Amino acid sequence: MSEGEVPDRAGDFARAWAKAVSGTSYLPMTQAQLEAFLQRLTVRLAGALRAEPFDLRVGYQVGADLVAAHIASAEGLGRTVEVIHLRLLRDLGLVESDVQDRMARLLASVATGYARALRDRTLDEQESIRRAGMLARAEAERALRESEARFRHQATHDPLTDLPNRTLFTERLTGAIRDPQEGRDRVGLCFMDLDRFKVVNDTLGHQIGDRLLVSVADRLRRSVGEHLVARLGGDEFVILVEGTECTDDVVKVADAALAAVGESALVDGHELTVSASIGIVERPVAGTTPGDLMRAADITLHWAKGAGGAQWALFDPDRNEREMTRYALSAAIPAALERGEFYLDYQPLTSLVHGGVLGVEALVRWRHPQLGVLRPDSFIGLAEETGLIVELGGWVLAEACREAGRWSEVTPSAPFISVNLAVRQVHAAGLVDEVSALLERTGLPPQRLQLEITESTMMSTAEEPVRALRVLSDLGVRIAIDDFGTGYSNLAYLRDLPVDELKLAGSFVTGLRAPADDPASRTDERILASLVSLAHALDLTVTAEGVETPAQAERLRAIGCDAAQGWHFGRPAPAERILERLR
Amino acid sequence: MVQRPDWAPETIDIERPSVARMYDYYLGGSHNFAVDRAAAQAMIAAVPEAPLMAQANRAFLRRAVQFLLDAGVRQFLDIGSGIPTVGNVHEIATRSAPDARVVYVDTDPVAVAHSREILRGNPSATVIQEDLRRPAEILAHPELRRLLDFSEPIAVMIVAVLHFVPDSDDPAGIIATLRRTLPPGSYLVLSQASADGRATDEEKREAERVYRNTDNPLTVRSRTALTALFDGFDLVDPGVVWVPEWRPDSPDAAEHAAQSAFIGGVGRLGE
Repeated sequence: MSEGEVPDRAGDFARAWAKAVSGTSYLPMTQAQLEAFLQRLTVRLAGALRAEPFDLRVGYQVGADLVAAHIASAEGLGRTVEVIHLRLLRDLGLVESDVQDRMARLLASVATGYARALRDRTLDEQESIRRAGMLARAEAERALRESEARFRHQATHDPLTDLPNRTLFTERLTGAIRDPQEGRDRVGLCFMDLDRFKVVNDTLGHQIGDRLLVSVADRLRRSVGEHLVARLGGDEFVILVEGTECTDDVVKVADAALAAVGESALVDGHELTVSASIGIVERPVAGTTPGDLMRAADITLHWAKGAGGAQWALFDPDRNEREMTRYALSAAIPAALERGEFYLDYQPLTSLVHGGVLGVEALVRWRHPQLGVLRPDSFIGLAEETGLIVELGGWVLAEACREAGRWSEVTPSAPFISVNLAVRQVHAAGLVDEVSALLERTGLPPQRLQLEITESTMMSTAEEPVRALRVLSDLGVRIAIDDFGTGYSNLAYLRDLPVDELKLAGSFVTGLRAPADDPASRTDERILASLVSLAHALDLTVTAEGVETPAQAERLRAIGCDAAQGWHFGRPAPAERILERLR
Repeated sequence: MVQRPDWAPETIDIERPSVARMYDYYLGGSHNFAVDRAAAQAMIAAVPEAPLMAQANRAFLRRAVQFLLDAGVRQFLDIGSGIPTVGNVHEIATRSAPDARVVYVDTDPVAVAHSREILRGNPSATVIQEDLRRPAEILAHPELRRLLDFSEPIAVMIVAVLHFVPDSDDPAGIIATLRRTLPPGSYLVLSQASADGRATDEEKREAERVYRNTDNPLTVRSRTALTALFDGFDLVDPGVVWVPEWRPDSPDAAEHAAQSAFIGGVGRLGE
């Protein structure tokens, strides 16, 4: 057989081979392509059967090539072995003497090469799908982490400014306090609020307000460096300064923040300049809590605001203590009224002409169960701030009238009772009715009631209080101006008001304690003399307050002052002592 | 930053059989895990011809791509491409048209990761992770837009995938969305499992049971139903047929065509 005959005979064999293996696995080629491929292998197998010496490598390679062409299944090998064994020698007319031995070795080498290649291919594919599985898992986990990070960011940041929000800030502050890092045993806070931000919102609209907040946030972020800036809501921001050594470290941050906020910004064509107030707290982390720190910063922010804004204020524990006490006191007033913890002392107003008692001023006292007896200067201011003064003042007025009503039983020439009226009482509707009812109930003649009001009460231009005082005056009630000469001393009201008496402030009288030739003392005396002559020119009587020495009394009498009040003439004392004195 | 599609599972559960890896197993590949092989073997126990069906379908894909190449198409969008095993579109295409460009789309993260490895450094083929049920997102994907030119015909291949899309997911709407974006002269290749002419319902029930354990339950369709999905396209001869009958390499290759259980066809979008 010539070499030329082989391809044709090989073609017959290859067709049979292709038919045997088709369908054993997916083959990415046409039947014709498969036959052509197998024919090339057939030629190589035929060559191997003839070659001397016998070369196993041809069989190995044919097996591997089958797998590489995707004829790669157990069935594919089985049918290949079968078809070679049954047909190859016959189809190709091979008749060499040791051909059966060679055929056995050829089949063995094809099967070996095939199995090796199939194993390698299987391992490669397994490895690649495992790797894909791991990649996919890593990708999914990365995506999950990203979405968690995104979610976490949303949960911990303010959507408007992208600054950390209250949640993140609280977390960080709590961490800084509960679990401080090495060397970070102090912590500071700047609690900031824009001054008059509401005006921006109200006049330019919320959209501009929001953009201004974004601009402020950007400037803050830039100015405070590594410190955490958070937006707590509205126009409230807070800066956490960790690892401070002293208050000054936080003050520097506050200065930087105020400077940054104070830069003017162009927002939507509006040139806007805002200022801010900052409450600063700085203290050791040991012994404090996030709540304490925030409360202190909040209080301090209000101090800064109260001082006019555009500034920082430092937390002051003493001031805080005082305010806390004041707050506690003011909160206790209603219950104290109910429990009868208030009572009145009385101080005489004595005539400098004949030495008799013209009047008696009622002075309120608070017998506080823990703090002892409190003088009015420790709680009247509070009561005025909170509005409780109306109730408290009403009680004082009623009690004083009740007491004074008894005095006519003791003496026919009983003195008048002088009672302080707070601004709010004067402004309260129903003052006239309240006083009239009291006078009726106690039988106190109106002439024996004097109401002391301060100059500042009259600074208001409201008509209602003036009308009320005029009605009371028409009833016969005396109206006195208390602490005259210390306020603005706008004398215009003296023209319009039914005033009967001026009470000169104790500060002028204090000057009279110095020797008469002392220049300052002479000045005070001249002021007093002018005030007295002014009063007399207006048909008003004059009472000097705070008279403590006979010399003061003598000098006051010399300048024509009508009456005096003070330790020299009698200290404030319980009602019984006044009664004794009147008898 | 790559945005994770919002429908993607939060973790990859390779303890669940994947239809993509089961298909690889039917085709004689080893890109599969024990769980896939177990599911595929259960399928083979119910429907012994399953591997032949997969092979027949794969051969249909090869002939369809060759047909499209001969028709001058150079852009392919293979949706539901699965594990890039033997005889991928880009292998077939670039063999006779080196300028062909292929975009693979699959929802299976493992299949996508595997495809990405295979296609690494290949400038004319890419893979994106998306779901056939979100055609608008597929068409708008920047990776797809980078590779495909929408002024030239594109062949959309949805091969052996539609039986995982129930009618409730509106396959007609999905294909209509694709059609509206494709330029004239584009093609649509569809094939899917069919129960037409099968002897018993038991096989169908068993097959459905196997696939219920995957993320993709099975919906077989009749030839009429699949033909309806070519709405707006002109069916190329011989229309929707058993896949071995679709332009076979040799007449005898189409013997026992109904055993393939897959029907398919190719449609052309007119000018």
